[in-house]
Amino acid sequence: MTHRSPRLNRWIVFVAVLLMLVGFGSGAGSVMAAEKIIKIGTIFPLTGPVATAGQRCQAAVQTAVEIINNKHPEIKVPLAKQEGILNGYKIVLVHADSQGKPDVGKSEAERLLNQEGVWALIGSYNSSVSKPASFVAERMKRIFMCGASSSAALTQRDMNYFFRLAPTDKTESIEFVDVLKWMNKTKKANVKTIGIIYENSEFGKHAAEEAKMAAAAGGFKVVADVPFSPGATNLNSEVQTLKKSNPDALFGAVLGADYSLLVRTMKQMAWLPNIAINYCSGYQDPVITKQLAGDADFFMGSTAYSPQFASLMPAVAAVEKIFKSKTGGVPFDGDSIQEAVAMLVLAQAIEKAGSLDPDKVAKTLYANTWDSPLSLGGKVAFVKGGQNIKAQSIVTQLQGGQYKRIYPEEMADTKIIFPMKPWGKR
Amino acid sequence: METFVQVLLDGMLNGMVYALVAAGLCIIWGVMDVINFAHGEYLMVAMYVSYWLGFLLNVDPLLSVIAAGIFIFILGAMTYQLIIRYTIGKPGLVALLATFGLAIFLKNACMNRFSPNFLILTDTWLSDKTLHMGNLIFPVPQLVAGLLSLVVVGMIYALINTTRFGWAIQATAMDRDAAELMGINTDRIYLVVFGIGGACVGIAGGIMPSYLAVHPEVGSMFGLIAFVCVAMGGFGSIPGAFIAGILVGSVEALAGFYIAPVFKYIAVFGLYLTVVFLRPKGIFGW
Repeated sequence: MTHRSPRLNRWIVFVAVLLMLVGFGSGAGSVMAAEKIIKIGTIFPLTGPVATAGQRCQAAVQTAVEIINNKHPEIKVPLAKQEGILNGYKIVLVHADSQGKPDVGKSEAERLLNQEGVWALIGSYNSSVSKPASFVAERMKRIFMCGASSSAALTQRDMNYFFRLAPTDKTESIEFVDVLKWMNKTKKANVKTIGIIYENSEFGKHAAEEAKMAAAAGGFKVVADVPFSPGATNLNSEVQTLKKSNPDALFGAVLGADYSLLVRTMKQMAWLPNIAINYCSGYQDPVITKQLAGDADFFMGSTAYSPQFASLMPAVAAVEKIFKSKTGGVPFDGDSIQEAVAMLVLAQAIEKAGSLDPDKVAKTLYANTWDSPLSLGGKVAFVKGGQNIKAQSIVTQLQGGQYKRIYPEEMADTKIIFPMKPWGKR
Repeated sequence: METFVQVLLDGMLNGMVYALVAAGLCIIWGVMDVINFAHGEYLMVAMYVSYWLGFLLNVDPLLSVIAAGIFIFILGAMTYQLIIRYTIGKPGLVALLATFGLAIFLKNACMNRFSPNFLILTDTWLSDKTLHMGNLIFPVPQLVAGLLSLVVVGMIYALINTTRFGWAIQATAMDRDAAELMGINTDRIYLVVFGIGGACVGIAGGIMPSYLAVHPEVGSMFGLIAFVCVAMGGFGSIPGAFIAGILVGSVEALAGFYIAPVFKYIAVFGLYLTVVFLRPKGIFGW
């Protein structure tokens, strides 16, 4: 028989108590599960060059969760009038930062699913991050709701658990070319050539490919194809290249700070095309637009939402009030609102499926058309691959710092200013 | 020909700013053998200093360069006093990792304090101004930044080569122990050198809000290019870093325009690898 010292005995008792506490703790965890909590993981670029957009996307999901978890009779969106879903389940968000990097996004998806035990994922703003992160979810048969990533390739993978709300860059490219045709027809704009400037990423490259295909189909000639490295110290040679080719129209897929650098470099080099239309980019970012002030005017882009759309989407105002409280007064933009819609539609599907079985919920998502007062078209419906076929956007033009609706004509609230006003005459 | 001159001019102006950023790194590297990984973040902090002086007190970046230079001088001196001093005499990796940690700290502190939003100063004395000479366009902010770079690098070169203090710096860089035996307070030399290195990048960062958005990531690429300039110009050679800066800016612009915009950094790093392969100590290395 061995004799232990009293001190050692005290240590053993201490460790035993500690272990019991840990055991109690894990027990408490399962009680949490019994408390009806659904953990949803979010992956957005909270740091890095597009962090400002990522943080707004995260705030949008938080806004949607606040509406789902609590009674908001004043808000006219589905689930607002009840408290929680599935008879009292509340949603708890677990956030992750992708830094805008695909490898980080992928490992964060793995961490959220494996270690945090989240039930589904929402994200990831950058198409280049959404792609690998959603592969992780698909492999584990977990739903991935993608609000804003626009690369058409994401919904061409025949995935079963991936759902994307935003219009794709393919849809947008066709829409941009339609704008040019409409301009040529109704305004005798005589637009024949197109230049494309895009960041050298999954999003930018795919947008450029779609732009080239749409341009060819529409009979336009692409005379400048200008990729650039995101976060570059300058865009001088890029703008010089565009200036040399001098296209009639410019399509841009330029995110964050790069967009402001592009606009300022264009101004410095005293060059403007007749018309400039942007995919998801700094154009849609209300903060950048405000910072660029008058220099941002007369650029155009596809927009799923801006405060100037209030008359088309009356339900947004009450939701935006909550959103603004999280962003220091910055309103929804076309990207962030899609993330709120992603969360709301997922919650509606869980409620309708009456189950937390991901297969059942995924099938329910496909099988129904969802009411979505925060979407331009008012509805959301997914087809094979997970694309929302009801996704709509309006081509807007910044005039006096306001996103004015230009195209389609029936939704326009003002006339296009064409050609863009030269820098020296603003 | 006109286009070639315009592209080259743009490249050289950018290159002069790279040179000023690199000069700060070069002097620290050359004298102390310390790789300051937080150099790009010093630039970012200087840009914030200049931005907030402009935004809150309406001080133009052209004047804020002085405040930014002083601020980053103090930041550099503090970095030495609180961090680097304890790494002297230890393996080089220790200082490298310490400054890497500082870089992450500075970036996240700014992100936390100022958010990741892009901040742009409008209506500064220089912003959006251009000079026209025939068909050539000189962007005034970059032109002033380039001239400022020329003046500051010239002053540092003169300080190091024509003053007793500069000779003390050179002596310390050559042999610290021998310098101490000659009565030079090498600890103070290191402190001031880190401060001067910071002041260089502080001045560069101070003028930049005239034409560049300020955000927590803005210094990363400049920091990387500064490393290339210093290694290419020769460790510790201020003229080397200056010439390498202009070379890098010119190659970046010419390759970006004549080959493909996406090729510009490939050309820069290709040039760097070539120089380092042919002359490992750099063009003007000691």
